[in-house]
Amino acid sequence: MSRSKGMPAARPSGSLSMTGRSRLLALLLVLCLLVAISMWAVTLGTVRIPLRSVGNAIFGFDGSREHLLVMTIRLPRVLAALLAGSALAVSGAIMQAVTNNPLASPGLLGINAGAAFTVVLVMTLFGTGTSDIYLWYAFFGAGCAAIVVYGLGSFGLAGQSTVGLVLAGAIVATFLTALTSAVLIFDQSTLDTVRFWTAGSVAGRTMAQAAAVAPYILIGLAAALLLGRHLVTLSLGADAARSLGQNPLAWRAIAVVLIILLAGSAVALAGPIGFVGLVVPHIARLTIGVDYRWIIPFSALGGALLVVGADTVGRMLFTSQNFPVGVIIALIGAPFFLWLARNKAGGAT
Amino acid sequence: MPVNDKNTPAKLTGQCVSIAYGQHRIVEDLDLIVPERRFTALIGPNGSGKSTVLRTFAGLMAKADGTILLDGHSIDTLSTKEMAKRVGVLLQGPVAPEGLTVRDLVQQGRYPHRSLFGRWSEQDQDACEEALMLTGMTTLADTALDSLSGGQRQRAWIAMTLAQQGEVLLLDEPTTYLDLAHQIELMNLITVLVHKHGKTVVAVLHDINQAARYAEHVVILKGGKITAAGPPDEVISAEAIADVFGVKSVIIRDPVAGTPLCVPL
Amino acid sequence: MTRLLTVLIFLLIGLILASLAFGDIPLSWRELFETITGSPEANLQNVMIVFDLRLPRVLLALLVGAALATAGTIALAVMRNPLAEPGVLGINSGAAAAVMVVIVLLQDPPAALLPAAGFLGAVAMTAAVYLLSWRGGTSSLRIILIGIGLSSLAGAATTLLSTFGEIGDVQRAMIWLAGSVYDANILKVRLLFFWLIIPMALAWMSSRELDLIRFGDNSARSLGQRVDLVRGVMILLCTLISGAAVAAAGLVGFVGLVAPHIASRLVGPSHARIFPVAALTGASLVASADLVGRVIIAPAQLPAGIVTGLIGAPFFAYLLWGRRHARE
Repeated sequence: MSRSKGMPAARPSGSLSMTGRSRLLALLLVLCLLVAISMWAVTLGTVRIPLRSVGNAIFGFDGSREHLLVMTIRLPRVLAALLAGSALAVSGAIMQAVTNNPLASPGLLGINAGAAFTVVLVMTLFGTGTSDIYLWYAFFGAGCAAIVVYGLGSFGLAGQSTVGLVLAGAIVATFLTALTSAVLIFDQSTLDTVRFWTAGSVAGRTMAQAAAVAPYILIGLAAALLLGRHLVTLSLGADAARSLGQNPLAWRAIAVVLIILLAGSAVALAGPIGFVGLVVPHIARLTIGVDYRWIIPFSALGGALLVVGADTVGRMLFTSQNFPVGVIIALIGAPFFLWLARNKAGGAT
Repeated sequence: MPVNDKNTPAKLTGQCVSIAYGQHRIVEDLDLIVPERRFTALIGPNGSGKSTVLRTFAGLMAKADGTILLDGHSIDTLSTKEMAKRVGVLLQGPVAPEGLTVRDLVQQGRYPHRSLFGRWSEQDQDACEEALMLTGMTTLADTALDSLSGGQRQRAWIAMTLAQQGEVLLLDEPTTYLDLAHQIELMNLITVLVHKHGKTVVAVLHDINQAARYAEHVVILKGGKITAAGPPDEVISAEAIADVFGVKSVIIRDPVAGTPLCVPL
Repeated sequence: MTRLLTVLIFLLIGLILASLAFGDIPLSWRELFETITGSPEANLQNVMIVFDLRLPRVLLALLVGAALATAGTIALAVMRNPLAEPGVLGINSGAAAAVMVVIVLLQDPPAALLPAAGFLGAVAMTAAVYLLSWRGGTSSLRIILIGIGLSSLAGAATTLLSTFGEIGDVQRAMIWLAGSVYDANILKVRLLFFWLIIPMALAWMSSRELDLIRFGDNSARSLGQRVDLVRGVMILLCTLISGAAVAAAGLVGFVGLVAPHIASRLVGPSHARIFPVAALTGASLVASADLVGRVIIAPAQLPAGIVTGLIGAPFFAYLLWGRRHARE
């Protein structure tokens, strides 16, 4: 399996000609959209709050009801969406670079399955507590699962090929999902609680929760941006990477650490919104080209935009504050993704 | 473009062929004649459209315009299978599923000759053995493809194309990965195929001197257009090399074969 | 090859006998023998347990396993991706969404509606994936990508229903989706058998096409294969086979992914050999999963789909691990 049998992640024919300048322009466009939607999202809700009051609340908090609303409900929710979205998308991009497989997503490292399993286990054993506690259990579960997958994939299965990693991921994820289902089938009350978490949501997140995972996500994002160049090399496959002087095993380990930091935190914060990590890097690749130095910033902004946008749309359309953002993400993201895939991916020849 | 060898009929003919990737036209109004039972070499700088032309003549790429005739009949009227029975193609960098042996690979070459549920016949077996023998792969037949060197793997793929037993062979840079000895062996093999087995061979080659020495008909491509075509003696000149590759050179006689030999200055 | 097949068949026979013997009311080997041979000493209750309850169940498990493995083998070859399994074509997500809709939105749907919904959901989804990825031809990559996109849409519907549906319904759907052969009867076994026999035979007979299509579109086409036609037909077979398996047993995951991998590691890359070995492997996997699920926490039962994950996954890991070290 030395020559990766996975297909090259994507070979968009039209996008390779995109110049640095138009890429930068695309990036700026997404950034502007992101800022605009985020600001709008904070003003939006049962009580409309003008943008100025939002600014006042952040920089000159006076304890008024309006300021309280901004600082304890609206802003944390938007921040959580931004953090989770960018983290998931970037970790997805890293995952696809490492495995060079278009089917790869952070979920493949067992991140979602691990988080879900620990959350369900804790709920069943100790009853349903506050969501603060789940956050750390989810993070812990995600990290453990990813480490096991990496260990199995790199030192056990099929040598150091990415196919080993991919299969190890599928094995561990299947195992954990089966365990989770086995618990849920017999425990209706846990199923009742956990189903909202599994759908993925940023509703009711507190500032403390967002702040708790923010450092990990920010470190992860910064590192991913700095390391983009190495990911390009890594995506050439282990043999080519080694011949270029890169130690693929070490770099794959670094990539896995980044994915744990990013996706682990994101899943802990917002539940398993797997679609973001799978689709945003693809959208980036199909629009901006195959260079990971561009894909990563584009994924970070695009992922944040998708989650914040989806959450805002959900709040607008459904006054029930608990409408799971994961569902809306799929409803918005999937048609766009389908259009891109149909028009740009892999020609008929 | 004229074929100087007036006595040989054309095996493959392209008339006003245009080829495009999406909106972008790579080749425009190309007229190419491949003489029958001859070795034709396609040379030209990187990106001149050699591989594209080869793929199109193999029927693997749709052309935007024009006609391609095989023995005077448009290849559009041939089914994929009939085409594969008559024209064998070896593309650059083919990938085989892992775990395959050389024999497994070569047997795939018999695909176009077998009906949907047809059995493996003696004829199929003979074709494979012959292909293995011609490429010198008989002793390696049961080795896994993954464990071969690049050159051996290339020869296995050539053997697969030979097992197809087409009248025409289209080879895209067949000498890549081969060491000098095997390059010469392959060129001799092509000569044997052309002269003893009556095949028509078209190969994209990078080495001008190799083309000059072994090919009977040389076609020079530049920017999707044919700038010269004919016997190497007439086509390969210092001016043509300067024009197409931008390299100054002198042309001397090959002391062994007497063919033109390009020595860059 | 012959030895391997013999071993697998013996393993299968052992599994069948064990499945007939073990359960809430365990039968001794002697009792089992008497019951099967119809000896006059056999007691009537045992006859009923063996022939009406356990036999249909184990037969259904075998059929489902063989079907999933066959469909998985096709998907693996056609998609040329080690992660490809019928689910990539949208079969699982389509079936899940359809079943969820039926269970949550209809009040007390008749039990017969669920398999029908599952099958139609799977077929509709695959058809949509294939049609959407068609643009004067298809490519494996485009099918995979479109499959991801459409599956996530169906997944969104499933999630939505499971988030807001009545909790009892949601749990019922979950159990169905987890994949089980609880409600097997001889009629179901017959139906599935006659449904599967033609597509599975056709798949096996087209081994050579699958051997070739794995080389990639260009190589396959240059050897005279009508790649789009072959891919279309193979996807159709794959859908008919795995759709029926899903209808009969819900989503028994992992078998479709693992059985072809195990088989190709055992017998090499030729599909004419992979198919029978994969089918037997898949059948053994599901049958043993159901057996274990029945006895491990008796009297409660674990659905076979969950057990394939719990036992199949580590077993597969062990297999891959063992192979690697054997080679060194």
